[in-house]
Amino acid sequence: NMAEAEAAGDAGVAPAPAPAPAPAEQGAELAAVIGATVPTGFELTAAAEVQEKLGSASRISRDRGKIYFEVPARGLPQVHRLRSVDNLFVVVQEFKDYQFKENKEDALKDLEDLVKKLPWTDPLKVWELNNSLKKKKTKRKKHNLQSTASKEKLNDNGEEEGTDQKDASEQEDCAQNAAGVEPASGQDTEKTQGVASRNGEEEEEEEDNEQSDAKDELQAGSGSETKAGDGKTSDGEAKVLKFRVTCNRAGDKHSFTSNEAARYFGGAVQEHFQWKADMTNFDVEVLLNIHNNEVVVGIALTEESLHRRNITHFGPTTLRSTLAYGMLRLCDPQPTDIIVDPMCGTGAIPIEGATEWPSCYHIAGDNNPQAVKRAANNICSLLKKNENKESSTSLGIPLDIIQWDICNLPLRTGSVDIIVTDMPFGKRIGSKKKNWDLYPACLMEMGRICTPGTGRAVLLTQDKKCFAKALSRMGHIWRKGQTVWVNVGGLHAAVYLLKRTWERAEEKRSFW
Amino acid sequence: KLGHPSELPPEPAPDYEGDEPFLRRVHHVLLEVEVLEGVLQCPDSGRQFPISRGIPNMLLSEEEA
Repeated sequence: NMAEAEAAGDAGVAPAPAPAPAPAEQGAELAAVIGATVPTGFELTAAAEVQEKLGSASRISRDRGKIYFEVPARGLPQVHRLRSVDNLFVVVQEFKDYQFKENKEDALKDLEDLVKKLPWTDPLKVWELNNSLKKKKTKRKKHNLQSTASKEKLNDNGEEEGTDQKDASEQEDCAQNAAGVEPASGQDTEKTQGVASRNGEEEEEEEDNEQSDAKDELQAGSGSETKAGDGKTSDGEAKVLKFRVTCNRAGDKHSFTSNEAARYFGGAVQEHFQWKADMTNFDVEVLLNIHNNEVVVGIALTEESLHRRNITHFGPTTLRSTLAYGMLRLCDPQPTDIIVDPMCGTGAIPIEGATEWPSCYHIAGDNNPQAVKRAANNICSLLKKNENKESSTSLGIPLDIIQWDICNLPLRTGSVDIIVTDMPFGKRIGSKKKNWDLYPACLMEMGRICTPGTGRAVLLTQDKKCFAKALSRMGHIWRKGQTVWVNVGGLHAAVYLLKRTWERAEEKRSFW
Repeated sequence: KLGHPSELPPEPAPDYEGDEPFLRRVHHVLLEVEVLEGVLQCPDSGRQFPISRGIPNMLLSEEEA
């Protein structure tokens, strides 16, 4: 897969700046430059997926966690089906080297003046088109949208149910939703992406299980309670659009905060379009991304992140599916490969695996009965979604769940091609001390079940020190490949690709 | 690869790859049959592992591990 990623990278990483496509001439097809946020570290993987599924080359920006690619507007449905992207937006314009004035007032005035000069027409057409795609999906949803507003908040502790929910501050990234809220002034801020869609319904079954797509998830405000975005936006007079501006700013040379930038820019947007500003029930979300001298103005195409799509039943540490997808892709699964997640939790990885690589066989296991139960429920939701309406039989999924002990796996030596798992971090589950014992035992047992020579493992962990130590003693079994540095719920973690050596494991399993 | 007792022959015939009816039965058992309640039995030790709601519990007891 490295070769694939490199090829995509070579094809995609163009040094020359790409301006927004020229407005469509008469009869020319509407095209868009799409920006996609992806798990940091997996930009190349995402670019490879874009190349494979859309045939477009991607540019990876220096603002990490984002890739850009061009597609015809009719390609939007396929864009939404990408598995490695969290959020999507259509680019209005990109500035590779924007010169900010040193004086704050001047810099902000420049941003204000910028609005009327931007090529909004085509991107807005794309936004409209995207809206109509969303509406087709929302119509089928009969779900109660009451908890929507709270999903946008930074800490929606109140929405959590279930006794085993940990503190929300440890949960995965929630978005900074207010226009231009930024944690530190002038520091190089790592920005969170989009709106984390936290499904607060812990134990409830979702009525309508179309989870494959951001659009299926609860919409932040469009079209539900307040009628924002409802109806005929193509017909301009029908109603006034509501909007908000979200600004992400990183860099230490700016004389203004993202809050200020958002306010000034927003003011000009309001003036220019005569839209109404609305923080929570907006139709149009204008994005102003500033990363040092790189400025990108965009319009959001997704409201809630795609990354929770497969999971209806959460656990305290559920991995987002975009990260799961990235990890799986790193292993380069081949048809008929046996893929095991021996610490599957709520099943994010095997579910993503079985969905995207259906010609592989996936086995998931965990020792925790709650986790196993939730994983099984998530699979049921998936099965229901796949149900054939006429015959009411559902196509099976090549995935099985077992309750087992990672140190005593009921799997034959050398029978597994791929192991992919999210190892306990010791922060939210377990403890650091436990990891010292657990990690070597895991690596040993995983080494035993993995096919010598061709087998590989992709392991996510935050406890890098412990992992390195455990791995250092296993050089005869595991060879270290690529390492991807990622950010999981605010924690700096690493994804290690390991290759199984040709050395056969000893048959120490007297029980099995 | 995991081993699953069924009405299949105890061992695959030497040229099983070409035997389509056999392959169909194996496919059916492996991918189309879901045991919801039952038991998985170890072919060597005879030890039984319960299956509940489709999930086998293969945790070993303290003594066994």
